Amino acid sequence: MTCPLLFAFLLAAVDRPVIDLSGGKVQPVPMAVAPALGTPEAGAAVEAVLSQDFDRSGLFRLLDPASFLAAADEPLSGFNYGPWQSVGAQALVKLSCEAPGAEVKCDMRLYDAARGQELLHGTYAAPRPALRLLAHRFGDDVVRYFTREPGVFQTRIAWVRESEPGKQVVASDWDGYAPLPLTAATINLLPSWSPDGKSIAFSSFREGTGAHLFQVDVATQKIRPLLLTGDFATGASWSPDGTRLVYSSSQNDNTDVYLAQADGSGAKRLTDSRGIDISASFSPDGKRIAFVSDRAGTPQIYTMAVDGSDVRRLTFQGNYNQEPAWSPKGDLIAFSGRDEHRVFDLYTVALDGGKVTRLTQNQGTNEKPAWAPNGRYLLFSSTRTGKRQIWMTQPDGSGQRQVTNEKGGASDPAWGPLAK
Amino acid sequence: MIAGAPRSLLAPRKTMPALPALGLAVLLHLLVLVAAFWLPRLFDRARPPRKPIIAHMVALGRPRDPHLLPRKESPPPAAASAPHSLPAPSTKAAPTAPAKHEPTRRELMERAIARAAGRADPDAKEAPDPERAGSATGSPEGTATSAEEGDAYFTAVHDAILEHYIVPSVISERERLYLTASVIAWIGSDGRILRHEFQVKSGNAFFDQALERAIQQAALPAPPADLARSLRDNGVVLNFRP
Repeated sequence: MTCPLLFAFLLAAVDRPVIDLSGGKVQPVPMAVAPALGTPEAGAAVEAVLSQDFDRSGLFRLLDPASFLAAADEPLSGFNYGPWQSVGAQALVKLSCEAPGAEVKCDMRLYDAARGQELLHGTYAAPRPALRLLAHRFGDDVVRYFTREPGVFQTRIAWVRESEPGKQVVASDWDGYAPLPLTAATINLLPSWSPDGKSIAFSSFREGTGAHLFQVDVATQKIRPLLLTGDFATGASWSPDGTRLVYSSSQNDNTDVYLAQADGSGAKRLTDSRGIDISASFSPDGKRIAFVSDRAGTPQIYTMAVDGSDVRRLTFQGNYNQEPAWSPKGDLIAFSGRDEHRVFDLYTVALDGGKVTRLTQNQGTNEKPAWAPNGRYLLFSSTRTGKRQIWMTQPDGSGQRQVTNEKGGASDPAWGPLAK
Repeated sequence: MIAGAPRSLLAPRKTMPALPALGLAVLLHLLVLVAAFWLPRLFDRARPPRKPIIAHMVALGRPRDPHLLPRKESPPPAAASAPHSLPAPSTKAAPTAPAKHEPTRRELMERAIARAAGRADPDAKEAPDPERAGSATGSPEGTATSAEEGDAYFTAVHDAILEHYIVPSVISERERLYLTASVIAWIGSDGRILRHEFQVKSGNAFFDQALERAIQQAALPAPPADLARSLRDNGVVLNFRP
């Protein structure tokens, strides 16, 4: 009896050479979206939106439909996986849409083509005008399946449209579609979504007395003043629970960070340095605030407790770091920094250890990072194509995509909350 | 029976009671097992003759002033994505990438030996970033500021698997920091992977599937004669990190 056990132990104790492998190529999952079945018009529209969502997400690499070997009318289920495996698909999306009246109804499925398994199966319905939303909903379900995190296809973003008459705050779908102007084209800047997604705070010169804070209701486009105190009040950022705002205000020629209630009342100064303290942004747990200060000679990123105590400097590289944005996961702060070539680019700094990572390089001026609510993407403005436009990137700098294509340019992006 | 007379071997003896005997047997078995486990360590068995793999290569470049903001860790995208025309969504999917040249075993070995000898890879295609931090004697393909000696064959194995080591981007960057998995691979005398077995799974099914794909698709060179038996019988441990 001892012999087999002894043998097993000797086997377990065997010394093997060890090879450490790291630095695997991070690549999207090869995905095929099969031609939609059912009502051609509705199916093709849903398929197009889905394909675009998956492609822009950077999570999937869409295979060219021209390479598909399966028949275009292949049924939704009970098909042969072989032709899909042959073209290299690991994920396969199939859908069938019907639009008998004012409503579109789609049966949509996700398969693991490599293993021949159905992974998701659902029926999605929406009024015809909301057809894009239907595709976004299934897309978010697919993303959640793969990443165990919510997708952003149903979210909205805000940005500033730059035109001859001025700058107006605009809200659009996450991919820049359906832009909806929320303000007139006076000078309106720095939009910031409330956590419930119903309103946007922004800075505006509309009163003619310097920049102050206003709030616009996204559904009604009704604007109301939020903070008209001081020489100026600008750069509002909401606390995660939506009860408070931080902003910068100049009073008696000293610019500091202030904290106020969500309606603008009860303002309290948080910083009191001789330098300029601006661009405040809440941490996702609402306990700390990131901001920019030149108290040490050059603008750098700092954090402090929400009562203004426990101030800590976070960046020590570079001589002009600005616009901090705290990641929803709380581990990184994105910022724009000016390098030795005097060009602003995007960086992240780790809260734990302070490691700075560069996201953009040699592609125009890149500024104003804004996190997606799931922390997987950042919006930013870039001049790489000439006019300033909104772009998106993944937090490691990969998958950079243009979001807006505005004639006069676009800037100051802000990403809205997740769809409920 | 006469006292002092020799006792017959067939004569009945006084036997030990069953319970203490069983206890003694268990104890002896345990002692053998413990010895089997500890003796090899006590005698400090010789390590395998080969050293582990080169983990990183020195990057070609100049050391960077630590006060400056860093350069990108990977080269910037070759070309910006085409602007998206609004509002019509594109129905065209990205074309599939052209088939990549699969290096032959001979090429893999030559490449590994060239690297071990400190020579730049003749296949290197990418122009180095002139401001990239590194060493003047580094390689354009280098990723680190220092390197270790390694074994040519294991370098070739490393490179062949790395060629197919693709981490799905559905795994978040944050999760990638903590994912590790360990796989034992048994390699035949012709370089074929005879079988593989997870020693430790990562806990993320997509990551584990990607590792299996990398191992299955890798074309390994045939091992040198002095390693062939050990790799066939004992295998090699592949420790994966994203």
